[in-house]
Amino acid sequence: MKEYNSKTNNSNELSEHTNSDDKKEAGRLKIFFGYAAGAGKTYAMLDDAGEQFKSGIDVVIGFIDPHTRPETLKLLNKLPILPPKTLFNNDIKVKEFDLDAALKRKPHLIIVDQLDHSNAEGVRNKKRYQDIEELLNAGIDVYTTVDVQHIESLNDIIREITKISVKETIPDYIFENADKVKFVDVEPDELMKRFEEGKLLRKDETGLEYSFFSKNNLRLLREIAMRKATDRISSFNQRKNKTLQKSINTRFLVCISPSPSSAKCIRWAARTSEAFHAPWTVLYVETPESMKFSEDQIKTIRSHMDLAERLGAKVVTLGGNDVAAVVSEYTKYSGITNIVIGKSRQKSIKSLFVKSFEDKLISLLKNIEIHIIPDSDNAKPYKNKHAINLNKNLFLSFNDFAKTFVILISATLFSFGIRAAGVGEQNVIMFYILSVLIISRITSGYLYGILASFLSVFIFTFLFVEPYYTFTAFQPDYPITFIIMLFAALTTSALIIRIKTKASLAAERERRTEVLYEINKKLLVTRGLDNIIEAANEYVTKLFDRTSILYLEDPVNGKEGIIKKSREDKDASYMMSKKEKAVVHWVFVNKKRAGNGTDTLMEASGFYTPIISQGNVLGVLGISCDKGNFFNHNNRSLSTMIASLVAMALERQYLSYEQRRILIEAEKEKMRSNLLRAISHDLRTPLTGILGASSAILENEGMDIETHDKLIGGIKEDAQWLIRMVENLLSVTRISEGSMSVVKTPEAAEEIVAEAVSRIRTRFEGCRINVKVPDELLLIPMDGTLIEQVIINLLENAVKHTAPNTVIDLNVKKVGDTAVFEVSDNGLGIQKQDLTHIFEGFAVSKGKSSDSSRGMGIGLSICKSIIIAHNGKIQAENKKEGGAVFRFILPLKGVKYE
Amino acid sequence: MNSDKRMVLIVEDESGISNFISAILTSNGYNILKTERGREAVSITASQCPDLILLDLGLPDIDGIEVLKSIRQWSDIPVIIVSARGHEREKVEALDLGADDYVTKPFGTSELLARIRTAIRHRQKDDFGSQPKAEIINVGGLTIDYVKRIVTVEKKEVHLTPVEYKIICLLSKYIGKVMTLDFITKEVWGPYTNEDNALRVNMANIRRKIEVNPAEPKYIITEVGVGYRMVDEI
Repeated sequence: MKEYNSKTNNSNELSEHTNSDDKKEAGRLKIFFGYAAGAGKTYAMLDDAGEQFKSGIDVVIGFIDPHTRPETLKLLNKLPILPPKTLFNNDIKVKEFDLDAALKRKPHLIIVDQLDHSNAEGVRNKKRYQDIEELLNAGIDVYTTVDVQHIESLNDIIREITKISVKETIPDYIFENADKVKFVDVEPDELMKRFEEGKLLRKDETGLEYSFFSKNNLRLLREIAMRKATDRISSFNQRKNKTLQKSINTRFLVCISPSPSSAKCIRWAARTSEAFHAPWTVLYVETPESMKFSEDQIKTIRSHMDLAERLGAKVVTLGGNDVAAVVSEYTKYSGITNIVIGKSRQKSIKSLFVKSFEDKLISLLKNIEIHIIPDSDNAKPYKNKHAINLNKNLFLSFNDFAKTFVILISATLFSFGIRAAGVGEQNVIMFYILSVLIISRITSGYLYGILASFLSVFIFTFLFVEPYYTFTAFQPDYPITFIIMLFAALTTSALIIRIKTKASLAAERERRTEVLYEINKKLLVTRGLDNIIEAANEYVTKLFDRTSILYLEDPVNGKEGIIKKSREDKDASYMMSKKEKAVVHWVFVNKKRAGNGTDTLMEASGFYTPIISQGNVLGVLGISCDKGNFFNHNNRSLSTMIASLVAMALERQYLSYEQRRILIEAEKEKMRSNLLRAISHDLRTPLTGILGASSAILENEGMDIETHDKLIGGIKEDAQWLIRMVENLLSVTRISEGSMSVVKTPEAAEEIVAEAVSRIRTRFEGCRINVKVPDELLLIPMDGTLIEQVIINLLENAVKHTAPNTVIDLNVKKVGDTAVFEVSDNGLGIQKQDLTHIFEGFAVSKGKSSDSSRGMGIGLSICKSIIIAHNGKIQAENKKEGGAVFRFILPLKGVKYE
Repeated sequence: MNSDKRMVLIVEDESGISNFISAILTSNGYNILKTERGREAVSITASQCPDLILLDLGLPDIDGIEVLKSIRQWSDIPVIIVSARGHEREKVEALDLGADDYVTKPFGTSELLARIRTAIRHRQKDDFGSQPKAEIINVGGLTIDYVKRIVTVEKKEVHLTPVEYKIICLLSKYIGKVMTLDFITKEVWGPYTNEDNALRVNMANIRRKIEVNPAEPKYIITEVGVGYRMVDEI
């Protein structure tokens, strides 16, 4: 009974540890679980850790409660201890677990006592279990201890049993997902004895009172703890057998309200759905009344939602007038089978006339099971509701006063007119009733309507009832008139207020939907990462009126986020501080939101949501929450929605990048294979020449000198041709190294030209080239070697196609933002049918044998590839006076030339 | 050319190329040592003290650059790098590490011989000419008078700015040798300059002053991607 996870585990642990070394993904958590302090959890934990340490595992003590018993502390001696972090909170020295030191030290196994502990202010995480999650994420195994009363879903049960509430709780999933849970048991009698012997301090530190440890309580706690431990085992077994089938059968829906008792419903649902292995949803319906909620009530709702999220529920907020109708609609469309509602026992007069919520639900949903959780605690927040409402609706405004008086005065004037015309007095009353209605309609709040009713009665009595100009009314029916007026005013005002709040609620929701739709629409048409970021930032600032920042890469890698300042923020640099970046880094690593308003790193100025797609963090969206205006639940879920939209857009963008890369790759591949085919053909000719000539020389000794020289000359010529070919090919590989682009550096045009010309001169002695460059220095961004190759190819082409000794002109000039290079000759010009595809080279068959294209076919097409890679343009044309002009144009400022 | 034969070490792993180089050099009155391996090249240099090394960068055992580095630790023997075209970075690196010159494959016989002559002549000058440098230097029609600080072309004086004069003096000091862009920039403007284009602009101005056609320079030629060289024979 002492251990639930059988003892054999211990001996297996070593081998398990070695196994886990291979795939160091997440660390493993072992919880030493007990039902009361003093059961010996810490002792068992340290004992176990000591065993691990002895078998050579790197064990470190992260944190142990300093109030631990001396026998237990004795076990500590052998183990290395991580010094705790000391903080000063209001001049009180607090010692806390040093998470960063632990992450830096990175032991194999770390011991951190008291899973339920709440960290002091100034520590990154609010709760210790968050620290432990980080440790596990970093691949460190953790041993920790916890008592049963700290488990969230059991919290209220234990409170009912022991009448003591425990504030520090851990979410159930930590317990459920732990790799091992060791139940440390001791007989309640034995425990009581330990107390009496004073082996235990009376636990003022944990805030528990002595009464907690009555024998009866202990027995109950022990039972709950054991049951929890067995539940875990059985649920583990079940989970192993049936995989995900569970979700189809049962679905729980919890309806919550600002009542504190909703927490009870949530906990009940958490426990039950765990038992049923069913998914569950928490639904909150915003009604027009919810606009009038006090700060406290809003806070309560928020804490309910947080609680539900912690316990693993999906939280949904819907809007509507009739809560029951909304709930039934949602239930129908999301396949809910069980609804959980809370109910208070107090009855009001209203409930005699109005159908109760549960009755409405039952009549709307006939096949749904409804669970009613009685609200035994209290029902206090409902009483003072009206006081608050009145306050809210009684505010004064000069405008409304003015309206009231203007309308009353005009009504009075009209009435005078009517009386002068001699029409019956009853119409005067009608006028006043009408004006009260109008006033209620056009002013906000009840005040003006009531005021108008009073005034109307007074004015009417004073001016139109005999005796005139006194407040004495003889006829007994005037009080009735007064009451009718008052009722008319009140009903109208109430109606108007209701409509108005509903309208503003609807408008708010409308705005949100619209913005989301707009973001989605915008992101759908946006291309390019920068544009996506810009669009997202713009909408976030517009929507929340807060500064927004978007990171696509962990700032630790040195990349800055892209920030957009809201209009209200004068200086948004605080969002880019080192502290904020640390939060962003945390979000990138832990894939969870953090910062202001969350439980992690809450002292940050921003609220950070990870942009997650398929488990990868594509980026982090930060929203400023400075000046204390924290983010409410609605905004948070909205920002999560935006984050998922951005995630989709980013993913699409990455996919399109990938696609483009593949396309370019394919194009390159095509070009290469074309080239290869053309070349292998072209190479054969000169190689055959060289081979033939050289073997002729080697095999015929008695060759006459003239033939011998001729053959050698042929070899040299063929070899030179081959070299030029190879140089051209080399250029192509230089382009292909990148993605159809080249590395550009500014080069002086004249230097490149000079080099090319001198090469041509050495190759063709006696050729006449006339070179002209502009007087000013022309610096052009380019790959010098490649452009030189282009000029060489063009000049060579010109030399080959003209008679010897004709002059070839090479002209460089600056035209606007471009540099123009021109090679012109006075030869035969280009044949018309070739003009269109003269640069297509090897890719196009010209209907001639490829031997005839030997020399320049590949050369010109390579020229074209090079110029295109430079974002330039190349043209060929015939001069009117005869001869051909080849012209290429390079942009001077890296702009693409169209 | 001296009567006692110069010794050239050819470090080249392609037997075809090393055969043809040695044929040319032998017929032009040089003694030849050959090796295919970098480590051997270092030990031969140490034991035989050749007058010049022709070093191919792509060697089977160690990189040619490493050979250059280890030789430069203890010797100033002229080294000419033989490298393939399109590897400007490699050339610049070799020049910065103390190589005297480079030839690009494929190269002609006359080009190779000219480079070897220049390199050896330089070394001689350095060896015997630790006395003050010549006061006047003449290349074709270009004359630089270091004492009067006057540059003339075809007997006509050319007015150069101080920076231009500094550049032309630097090139003429190492006449026939390639100076890398980086080296010139650092010599003229100091080590912490970021004037990337200043050298090109000044060079363009110099050419407009001393050359007939700046697009066909006679005196200072560009080695694209590497640097500038002042020719020593026209």
